[in-house]
Amino acid sequence: MRRADTKNEPAVYRRVVLKNASPYHYMKVCLVLEDESTRLSAVDLKQFIVTGLKSLYGEVGAALTFDLLKYDEDSLTALLRVYSRGLVKLWSSLTLLGSYQNQTCAFRVLQVSPFLLALTGNSRELQLD
Amino acid sequence: MFGDLERTPRTLLVCDRSSFLDEKNRLSSQVEQLHFNYKVSMLLPECSSAPSHLEAVLNSFNSFYLIRKLPIHELLDKHFLETSIHQGLVSGLSYRTRIDEDNCVALMPNGHLSLSLDKDSFELLGVEGKLSKFNQRTNSRYVVSVDLTDSSLAPGGRGYQRLVTGLRSRLQLKTDFLLSHHPGGGASLQALLSRCDWSEHRPEVRSHTLTDLFCPLLTSDLQSCDPHLLLEWLGAVDADVSCENSSSSFLSSLVCPEPKTTMSRALSVSVCGLLSPQDVHRLIQQIRCYLDQPRLESWASLTVHGFVDSPVSWGGDEHGVLRGGENFYSLLMFHDHTYHLHLGTGAHDTCPP
Amino acid sequence: MSVFMDLNLSFTAERSRLKTLIETAAHLGFSTVAINYVFEPATKKKQEIPTPTPIKELIDELPVVQGRYRPIRVLNRLTVVMSDSSHFRPNAAEYRCFDLLSVQPTTEKLFHAACMIYDVDIICISVTEKLPFFFKRAPVNGAIDRGVVFEVSYSAAIRDSTRRRYTIANAISLMESCKGKNVILSSAAEKPLELRGPYDITNLGLLFGLSDRDAKEAVSSTCRSVVLHAETRKSASGIVYTMKTCSESSSQQEAPPADSGEAPAAKRAKLHLTD
Repeated sequence: MRRADTKNEPAVYRRVVLKNASPYHYMKVCLVLEDESTRLSAVDLKQFIVTGLKSLYGEVGAALTFDLLKYDEDSLTALLRVYSRGLVKLWSSLTLLGSYQNQTCAFRVLQVSPFLLALTGNSRELQLD
Repeated sequence: MFGDLERTPRTLLVCDRSSFLDEKNRLSSQVEQLHFNYKVSMLLPECSSAPSHLEAVLNSFNSFYLIRKLPIHELLDKHFLETSIHQGLVSGLSYRTRIDEDNCVALMPNGHLSLSLDKDSFELLGVEGKLSKFNQRTNSRYVVSVDLTDSSLAPGGRGYQRLVTGLRSRLQLKTDFLLSHHPGGGASLQALLSRCDWSEHRPEVRSHTLTDLFCPLLTSDLQSCDPHLLLEWLGAVDADVSCENSSSSFLSSLVCPEPKTTMSRALSVSVCGLLSPQDVHRLIQQIRCYLDQPRLESWASLTVHGFVDSPVSWGGDEHGVLRGGENFYSLLMFHDHTYHLHLGTGAHDTCPP
Repeated sequence: MSVFMDLNLSFTAERSRLKTLIETAAHLGFSTVAINYVFEPATKKKQEIPTPTPIKELIDELPVVQGRYRPIRVLNRLTVVMSDSSHFRPNAAEYRCFDLLSVQPTTEKLFHAACMIYDVDIICISVTEKLPFFFKRAPVNGAIDRGVVFEVSYSAAIRDSTRRRYTIANAISLMESCKGKNVILSSAAEKPLELRGPYDITNLGLLFGLSDRDAKEAVSSTCRSVVLHAETRKSASGIVYTMKTCSESSSQQEAPPADSGEAPAAKRAKLHLTD
């Protein structure tokens, strides 16, 4: 998984190439609820995602660790961090989550990247008019 | 069956360490090669407002034009070719087009025109091209790359006629287009602009001051800090994510990489738009001047994001989107003129230079 | 890759709901959608095949696709749920009003016939029950050779956990036979909140046993092939095309002009042959 070619030149020059070495993936998601006035705290949201993981992947899924890096209660938008190995599982359980407390809901995944930096520099968000 | 669920698409991160004083440092060529920059963000530790020389550079990033529904054959207009493209004065990129769905166009400052086309459009155009590296099995996308400065494409010649007819009569390719010009190239665009619906845009500068944040101890040898952790921290600062957690926190266990210190304040400035590599280069020079003076912290960082939907990333290499088309670099500069450069790409990209 | 499509939005007589469904699809980045009319012939009484409502009557102004200027393209599709071979009438004039034609066979014999003989575009895989038959290689390969695709829809998997199990199990069993070729993933959504974005579906495809690339094609290139397959089905060998000139019965909405460049249907990307 990891390749590194290192050139050591007399000066300080050094080049390392890391392939597939990103330990985490980052997701920007937004929860859409049928009743738009519903409020969720950060803890509620995290617990809700855990129930989704549990219903699709069982106890092992519920044990998948992920972080809620940032959450905006007004827009229900969150930044998640998950180990790269768990990305597909977390993402698919978000996709298949369809109801929150008996109302229909949907997670809109806005962006996924192995770099947190990429989430703040998405050119698809460029609005010129 | 589910063994594959742990795999994720390929990512690449290139970490370069060198010094501005090293004559063989390739930083300027690496910066030049990423033609289409969307966002530049700069982080200055222990600083609350940018000194005037930096402020001046940030506010003097070249403006760019948005041309609505530009017929692409207009770029091959004889007058435009001679006054702008052959002089290496312009570059441009299609806007509101997505590289994994639509036809995308890039005009590089060296006069190369790169078209990423779906199969139907490619066959209609009838110009030589290559199968896209990332869509080999279905043959669904092709890349046409032509050098407009080449003698075989001189106006009037057969190759030129063929390309113009293809674009004008057969394919009728029209797209919104972002165009930027080098200083002094503005006048040569007027003839083209007069035939189109266009607007001029200034890059948007935003700055905010951060207070009391954790920060990894950054020194020029940087042996201890893992590049992914460093980039994560820079990303967290940019996205305004708190690092004040512990490994036992329920919500988030994101922490600042060790060894860490605290900063009482930091200045983060970002510029968005179609930004030219020359402007980025000027900014880097000014940050070096800034670092020359004695400061509390002896480093500064600069992150440059390329356009996700550009048909090319570094140099003329093909670029695509599988899930996210990230292509960016992050430069960490130190007082002693050494620097660390991290270049990252997603799945559909070649290795950065 | 081509534009993203969702070739199965459930038709509902409720106009406002259909409108928000199409708007949500456009907002999520789908450039083409198909409104699906389901026809389930009962054994005894005779039923009418539905006729599609022209999209102009359903919605005044088509919403713009996310991040683009062009409006979404809306097609009509008929799905015949078959439990008997008499349910599919190959030359029915009613079928011609639809842009896409699909069948959902419920027995092995009908599945075989759908793969090998019926002039259809899509074969739906049931997601509401355990399959009463296996996917045999021969008919599956036959369908792939003829350019017919298999459809797995995901909204049942969002609605209820039993159906989720059937969806995943049946999808995996299909992929074992077809190796991920000629598969489209669509929503069959009735409500806007049952729709998911194209990249979400791509990721979900991994659970169904598709590779990264096949999963992305299942919402883009393969869908495009189906639409072109449907266009050629309506014509003779994709060369001769007949249409009524006096009426406006042609329901297929034209693809947006110029900006993508329309190609003749005969130029469709080659569907995967067996390998």
